[in-house]
Amino acid sequence: MSRFFYPKLAATNLKKNAQTYLPYILTCIGTVMMYYIMVFLSENEGLGKMTGGSEVQTILNLGCYVIAIFSAIFLFYTHSFLIKRRKKEFGLFNILGMEKKHIARVLAIETLYVAVISLGAGLLGGILLSKLIFMVLLKILNFEVPLGFTVSGPALTAVLFLFAGIFLLTLLNTLRQIHLAKPVELLMGGQTGEKEPKTKWLLVVMGTLSLGWGYYISLTTESPLAALNQFFFAVLLVMVGTYCLFTAGSIAVLKLLRRNKGYYYQIRHFTAVAGMMYRMKQNAVGLANICIMATAVLVMVSTTVSLYIGMEDVLRTRYPQHIMISTPVPAQQSVEGLQTSVKEVLAKHGLEGKDRLDYRYAALVGNQEGDRVITDMSNISDDSSSVREFYLIPLEDYNRLAKRRVSLGDDEILIYSSSSKYEEDTLTVLNRTLTVKERLDSFFENNLNRVSISGSYYVVVKDMEVVKAMAEAQDEENGDDPSGYRYYLGFDLEADEADILAVYQDIRTAVGNDYPGSRIESPVAVKESFFAIYGGLFFLGIFLGALFIMATVLIIYYKQVSEGYDDKARFEIMQKVGMSREEVRGSIRSQVLIVFFLPLVAAGIHIAFAFPIITKLLAVLNLTNVGLFAWCTAGTILVFALFYALVYGLTAKVYYRIVSWETF
Amino acid sequence: MTILEVNNLKKVYTTRFGGSPVQALANVSFSVEEGEYAAIMGESGSGKTTLLNILASLDKPTSGEVLLKGKGLSTIKEKEISAFRRENLGFVFQDFNLLDTFSLQDNIFLPLVLSGKSYEEMSRRLEPIARKLGIGDILAKYPYEVSGGQKQRCAVARALITKPQLILADEPTGSLDSQSAEGLLRLFKEINLEGQTLLMVTHSVKAASHAKRVLFIKDGEVFHQLYKANMSDEAMYQKISDTLTTMATGGGHHE
Ligand SMILES: Nc1ncnc2c1ncn2[C@@H]1O[C@H](COP(=O)(O)OP(=O)(O)O)[C@@H](O)[C@H]1O
Ligand SMILES: [Mg+2]
Repeated sequence: MSRFFYPKLAATNLKKNAQTYLPYILTCIGTVMMYYIMVFLSENEGLGKMTGGSEVQTILNLGCYVIAIFSAIFLFYTHSFLIKRRKKEFGLFNILGMEKKHIARVLAIETLYVAVISLGAGLLGGILLSKLIFMVLLKILNFEVPLGFTVSGPALTAVLFLFAGIFLLTLLNTLRQIHLAKPVELLMGGQTGEKEPKTKWLLVVMGTLSLGWGYYISLTTESPLAALNQFFFAVLLVMVGTYCLFTAGSIAVLKLLRRNKGYYYQIRHFTAVAGMMYRMKQNAVGLANICIMATAVLVMVSTTVSLYIGMEDVLRTRYPQHIMISTPVPAQQSVEGLQTSVKEVLAKHGLEGKDRLDYRYAALVGNQEGDRVITDMSNISDDSSSVREFYLIPLEDYNRLAKRRVSLGDDEILIYSSSSKYEEDTLTVLNRTLTVKERLDSFFENNLNRVSISGSYYVVVKDMEVVKAMAEAQDEENGDDPSGYRYYLGFDLEADEADILAVYQDIRTAVGNDYPGSRIESPVAVKESFFAIYGGLFFLGIFLGALFIMATVLIIYYKQVSEGYDDKARFEIMQKVGMSREEVRGSIRSQVLIVFFLPLVAAGIHIAFAFPIITKLLAVLNLTNVGLFAWCTAGTILVFALFYALVYGLTAKVYYRIVSWETF
Repeated sequence: MTILEVNNLKKVYTTRFGGSPVQALANVSFSVEEGEYAAIMGESGSGKTTLLNILASLDKPTSGEVLLKGKGLSTIKEKEISAFRRENLGFVFQDFNLLDTFSLQDNIFLPLVLSGKSYEEMSRRLEPIARKLGIGDILAKYPYEVSGGQKQRCAVARALITKPQLILADEPTGSLDSQSAEGLLRLFKEINLEGQTLLMVTHSVKAASHAKRVLFIKDGEVFHQLYKANMSDEAMYQKISDTLTTMATGGGHHE
């Protein structure tokens, strides 16, 4: 046999199977490109040196892992699909006298071709595109764009190792399948296992419960902290539910329909029900995959987009005043020194504080149980949802800021709640029982719980003596040194960002020395790192979204192709038995439409139910603008649906060509 | 009474990408009387399937006409052709053509469902047919769960259930083992005795020897025909074999 026989055969095979191999190779190229670019960015030294750059690179690093794992699973999966379609061909080779080791050799050469083409084109594309993507990223991050063009050595190595590994794995898996199969089985190839699916009621029940539970968690979780804890569990439940219901639930529904004779034996329903049953059996897992992937894309893109768009909002929510000082005041010290320092700095810059807000307070943390609060840290329960923060504020400061003239007795309090209302008449904390004199409906604008994700109470007590006493009592209970009370001072400035930043830095040095432990914040100071983090997430969201869409496209394409081959024979039979062209066409088209849009609709429902819990998660990240998130979600869904429909339309063409629509 | 009349049928296949055209049928004429059981014989590639597809209105002839009970197939509107086919013709194919998505019973019901019959009526019609064909206890199964012979009997049931004027069979024994083939041929004979008109194309001498009349087609034309009359299956078999030998050696045929 000629030395070139195997390489030639391998090339012919690829050409012959171009309809399925071309998309596969394109996907390989796409993933190679994306992985190269992601590693390139996360390793880029220039980016690392920029302010906030290292945060971005941490996020991008995460992206590298996601892409690597995803590429491995995804390419492995699509390749096994290709091989399934080709089994007949291998069986034929086998029967024509090629031994399995010869087939293995051809396959190895084929894989080599695919690997070389994918890596070659992918790396070339990656290198060329990396500069563009880099500029886009910097634009998103509000960073300066440096000149120059680099090829990243580490990225090249990472790509080569990862994809060599993936290709080797797919080859080994194929060889294993060929090795295990008998020639006859190979010849049967795609046609084995067309048994009627059984109704698995257990799975249906499990899926329904699981999905219901997941939805229930999303709908009922109140506190952001609980949302953070429960989110991944809920996601897991919904995933399980999706798989169960797509596989078992769909079959169960169809079987119930079939059992209803009056319904089933009607022209419109007869072929549709049976056809859908067959399709769902073939595709349920793939469709569930698409559904979950679509949901993931939608959640990822909509949240990162709204965080990015809402960044100014977020910044303003998290840092409501230009300068924010919160400082511990030890027992022997007063706050006058601090006030003077701030005044001096402002005078130096020729500026004046506006909307000044200042008050004294002490914070308590504990588990609320009815009208009691357990502050003892060693007794704090695991149930995070009952953790509350209590801010004690003296009446004097409250009256001043709220412009009221309330008076309070020794153990009387006013209480305001940031989440659910405080319903009890008394509050027992640190061995002291306080009587609620008034439940406040509103409170003066304060900046205490900006970073808090559990529910907070603002408790106005008679005077500083009470505040101090309770703060001391808490420290004593926890065995800490007495830390005294805290003082907050915040104001806005009518100046541009550079000036605000200068004031901020001067205050830091002035106050920081005299009052160790002070927290001095300004939105201007953190703006860059905010941009870095949210911009990084936004970039990653879009990037991974693109990757997932590519995967979805490929799965849809392969589904169409394989359906096409199966449907071709069925169409012919239906016509011979007396169905008109239009009837066949209509029935098939509606089935195909249902199959392809089912995952999208299911993803839409998932998103709708996930909306409440995601808004709470976003609140943890300081995005409280629900309207913005709703718009971003709607927009993302719309764009995705358009994309999906476009892909469907394009692949449908291939499908119609296969079933040779026009010939009958 | 004449059920089927075929006049000067010609079929030329032109391939889409400019290959040379293939003439499958040159000039075919014959007719089938009510209650007849006719077989058309010819080698593989002689145009039998082409002929049957045209008779079934699944394909259009290049020229010539087909009359079913005096009505020209070409005069039927495109929209009505499927209904016409469903109500007047029954089919049995070599590869059964059962849909793998339906149980055998639903496969048999398919043409009736398309005609809008109720489940009760369909069951009533199926019952005697299933008994006669001996498929009563496999009706709930799926095509891949039963043997070739059983599949073909279900295909026959599907053809019979619409009470068609004419049953067309394309190599019905082609995919069956000899025992199942024998059973199917006996079945055809029985339903023919009950008055069903049958037209079968085949290249199996054995199958053809069961028919009352055998037409031979060669080079796209009807070459010869034989009547069985009172002959036994064996004698008919011999006679068909002889004719085929004559045909193969090229004698006897004149334009
Ligand atoms: N769709 C088609 N396009 C082109 N040629 C065809 C087509 N169908 C059949 N033929 C050709 O017509 C001739 C008759 O085929 P067919 O009717 O299938 O013969 P038979 O059924 O007797 O074996 C063959 O030469 C075949 O290649
Ligand atoms: Mg044929």
